[in-house]
Amino acid sequence: MDSHDFHKLLLSRGTFFCYSGLLSEEVLTAISGIVREQVTDIDNNENLTTRVFGIFVEQAQNIIRYSEERLALGGIGTVAIGHSNDGFIVEAINPMNAENVERLKENLKDLQQMDSKDLRKAYKQRLREGPPEGSKGAGLGFIEIARKSSKFEFDFVESPDVLFVLKAWIVP
Amino acid sequence: MHLEATNRTPEISISETALEMKGECYPEDITAFAEPILESLAEKLKACDVYSVSLELRYFNSSSAKFLFDFFEVLEDAAVAGKSVSIEWRYRSTDNSMKEAGEDFGEDMEEADYQLVEI
Repeated sequence: MDSHDFHKLLLSRGTFFCYSGLLSEEVLTAISGIVREQVTDIDNNENLTTRVFGIFVEQAQNIIRYSEERLALGGIGTVAIGHSNDGFIVEAINPMNAENVERLKENLKDLQQMDSKDLRKAYKQRLREGPPEGSKGAGLGFIEIARKSSKFEFDFVESPDVLFVLKAWIVP
Repeated sequence: MHLEATNRTPEISISETALEMKGECYPEDITAFAEPILESLAEKLKACDVYSVSLELRYFNSSSAKFLFDFFEVLEDAAVAGKSVSIEWRYRSTDNSMKEAGEDFGEDMEEADYQLVEI
């Protein structure tokens, strides 16, 4: 694929922001202002744009903390935001440890089944109980993504290492 | 103690009788951010009889939710120990997610006086 084809591909799928490479908290600080500005420029509904931004932060921090491919300051991955008539989509892709796939799959399937009331309850329960084993944060990131998104999908692609793909849609 | 807001942290003032927090909260390092605040708050609560807290957050990430949970626990514990603690959770009328967050944190406040304030 030529460079210009890559550029056109992003435009054709409505991707207005895409970062691929080493994600660290420092990088997140550097790009978050730009992301905010772009999202707000597309839609001035502050509740909607805060949801988009919130999901972007959780997705980026997942890559920072859990990407299997690491450099000293963070993890390697891709995070992208797109927009279409239907609303926004936040996508994240990162290599992950194959051993954790089953557990993560079950966890995400459970979250997909929950309605907003269940998710609110699950969030609160997790907050009370504290982070699960192996968590590097509050253990709330996926629940937060499920709560703030209209729907989300995930995939585990073997290529040959496992790539974790998480897509969240945010519609008004 | 006064901290100016940054891109990722709220403005915070902590005095002998009151604490105010306003802005967005998704710090680079949640532990480094939270510890001095929780320590300072515990110290002020110990030395006072009456303490008031006002929070007006536009956004916080999931790691900060844990900090806020701990923060409210410190306040409730002080109230249980006999201090008069009042808390205002301020949210914009259109902001349903901050309203829900305020309601959820408020559920655990029994001795502390906890008010949701629509702005």
